[in-house]
Amino acid sequence: MLADIGNFALVLAFLCAIFSVVAAWYGQRTSQVAWVESARNATIVVFPLVFTACLLLVISLLRSDFSIEYVWRVSSIDMPAYLKVTALWGGQAGSLLFWNLLLAAFTAAAMARKWDEQRELMPYALIVASLTQIFFLFLVVFIETPFARLDVVPPDGNGLNPLLRHPGMIIHPPMLYLGFVGFTIPYAFAMAALMANRLDDSWILTTRRWTLVAWLFLSLGLILGGRWAYDVLGWGGYWGWDPVENASLMPWLAGTAFLHSVMIQEKRDMFKTWNMFLIILTYSLVILGTFVVRSGVISSVHSFAQSAIGPLFFGFIAFMFVLSAYWMSKRRADLASENHIESMASREAAFLYNNFLIIAILAVVFIFTYYPIISELFTGEKGFVGPPVYERALAPLFALLLLLMGVAPLTMWYRSSAKRIEMGVRWPALVATLFVAVLFAFGMRSWGALLGFWIVGFSAILTLLEFWKGTRARMRRGEGPWEAYMNLLARNRQRYGGYWIHIGVLIMAFGIIGTELFQQETQIRLQSGESLTLGEYQMVFNTVDRFAGLDDLMITEATAEVYKDGRLVETLRPRSELYTRTMQPMTIPDSVSTVTEDFYVLLVDWEPLTPNQATFRAYLNPLINWIWAGGVVFVIGTLIAAWPDRREEKVLVLDPRRTALGAAD
Amino acid sequence: MTQASWTKTQKSDVTQTSKNSRLKFIIGGAVLIAAIAFLVVNAMSGSTQLYKTVDEFYADKSRLAGRDLRVAGWVLGDSIQYTQIDAMNSRLEFDIVDDYARPEQKLHVVVLNEPKPDLLQHEAQALVEGRGDENGVFTSIPGGLMLKCPTRYEEMEPEV
Repeated sequence: MLADIGNFALVLAFLCAIFSVVAAWYGQRTSQVAWVESARNATIVVFPLVFTACLLLVISLLRSDFSIEYVWRVSSIDMPAYLKVTALWGGQAGSLLFWNLLLAAFTAAAMARKWDEQRELMPYALIVASLTQIFFLFLVVFIETPFARLDVVPPDGNGLNPLLRHPGMIIHPPMLYLGFVGFTIPYAFAMAALMANRLDDSWILTTRRWTLVAWLFLSLGLILGGRWAYDVLGWGGYWGWDPVENASLMPWLAGTAFLHSVMIQEKRDMFKTWNMFLIILTYSLVILGTFVVRSGVISSVHSFAQSAIGPLFFGFIAFMFVLSAYWMSKRRADLASENHIESMASREAAFLYNNFLIIAILAVVFIFTYYPIISELFTGEKGFVGPPVYERALAPLFALLLLLMGVAPLTMWYRSSAKRIEMGVRWPALVATLFVAVLFAFGMRSWGALLGFWIVGFSAILTLLEFWKGTRARMRRGEGPWEAYMNLLARNRQRYGGYWIHIGVLIMAFGIIGTELFQQETQIRLQSGESLTLGEYQMVFNTVDRFAGLDDLMITEATAEVYKDGRLVETLRPRSELYTRTMQPMTIPDSVSTVTEDFYVLLVDWEPLTPNQATFRAYLNPLINWIWAGGVVFVIGTLIAAWPDRREEKVLVLDPRRTALGAAD
Repeated sequence: MTQASWTKTQKSDVTQTSKNSRLKFIIGGAVLIAAIAFLVVNAMSGSTQLYKTVDEFYADKSRLAGRDLRVAGWVLGDSIQYTQIDAMNSRLEFDIVDDYARPEQKLHVVVLNEPKPDLLQHEAQALVEGRGDENGVFTSIPGGLMLKCPTRYEEMEPEV
């Protein structure tokens, strides 16, 4: 019964989405406002319908209704309730349904919020967003139906993949989805601007926060994914250049380039074509990413069921791409800008270099990710490139990008004098050199690391100086230090939030250089009382215990004491969990975690009969916690930049050029 | 008159700037593409592997033996064996096939001094980087073994 209602709701949502596209198009063509209004209502109604379907699926999961195939696939009777709820996105059909829910929510919110301000753009934005919705609804209505029934009801379900039971994994997919789905909105408005031929920056201003929020979620998804891999996958790493990881990195890169280059359009009314191209690219990479993850086109370690949705995705990407290209070429003349870059040492040029570098990184990642397909096309044989190749090719590009991150704030719009920049970088360069000299004196001989640390230090000082200069200028006007700093942030959230994001990135870069270049590892079998030594750490193995845990868990846990400089630091309990019903083991590392490094230990093997012998694998990951700390700073910076600003909204409403209301009525 | 001539100069200046900036863009773009091409080719030289399935390996064994490969295949659960040789050395072995109906066409994968991955079990799909020999023994490079989550979570048919 619930399944029937769920299916019905989805079919209804599908029809509403189709109706909204047709009605909006017809209403716009014939200038009948009633049709457009009706289209808008139909779009908004999609959300409660999809929400109902999701709710019914969650209820079915909670009730362990195994007559529904999806419920049987991803849950089992004795799974805790919170996991049953999160199993909504634990499998293919459910995660597509969840995609639909987020897209419907975003679209409804966008249509409800700015409708009156953007009367001209809205019908078109509605059409584009609804086209995306139609495609994804089509998938859950006809191809991957979450409410498909089983003829015979099994007594118990499959259970959720244990690897997905980690908190990081529970949050990571929704974050990525939010990021992916979020980019649909700026794309829809960009297309709307093209279709309505309103190519000023109002579409950018309307969607700036959407873009930032989508970007924030995508960033969070990437960071949490890395953290999950580090905590759960037990290989001491956090990023493996796997196609599926790259599939979410690529839209993030394109989105990052877009966020930077729109600032040139806002300030100088330039790069309209380029911005259009970037948002279309971001959206295409989002859909392509969703497709790659689920189609099995590129062999990846991430598993999603390979299904028939591959060709459909391909068709949809092609359709949207052709549609975008058509409108861009149609508006070619209107997208041309009167303004030009006047100096190669200006702020706009700096943004341009930033875009060049990010697009270069994106191109490299793209080529390597799709290398199996590309090579097969040219040589008839599938090739493959591993992480070292990525790192070799990308390291110089990332280094230049970090350097630019520091220097760019010194440039001015239109043109800036070489002398000013030279004066600005002199002291930071000297301090960074001293910092590196100290590292050298302490025995660091890796030139890559020294150069990397120099760049990070140099850019970090320059960025912090921006805060100092701004705050000092306000203090001169009589504000206290904290007040001055807070006002500085509040007055220009976009800029100073952006600088905090840069600081976050630099902190992460510091951590990445540390772990990538100085990681140590060892694997050894120990008897009780024996020890292993790695770096300054000594680990003495005590014993192995076996006991039953929650649910169907069987836990094997080793106890080992870790000493540093002869002093006991911590007792570690690395363990192996076995989900006996599925016989799926999971290795849970334990670590001594400090600001400077992680001593990370895995229990690799043990003798079932004796508690006195076990094999361990230990990693020393220098500076790894800087990556997570940098991630936190990064997120805070993005929140500062995206925080609603009352003054800005007022400006948007009061500025007649950006208020379509008067013009439309 | 002065005004007129000023306007004229201004206009041709703008055209000039526009041409200049277009030229700069073209040069910049060319340099960018060249730089990307260099980085890609340089990073890849000697470091790419061929991607093969077990059957593809056997179809062209004499040529592929000894070359850097990434092979993909399905794990035969009964063949998994983990041996701790001594304190510092371990050996993980298992067979992979393309088709469970043809278990004789298999590669024997050997992984030295690595933990046994959680996902290594019957019906898991393994991706292994390394080199194979003519006898079908495939030795993984350090860190070269990766496994996909067992597909049974998604593809298994219900049993009642």
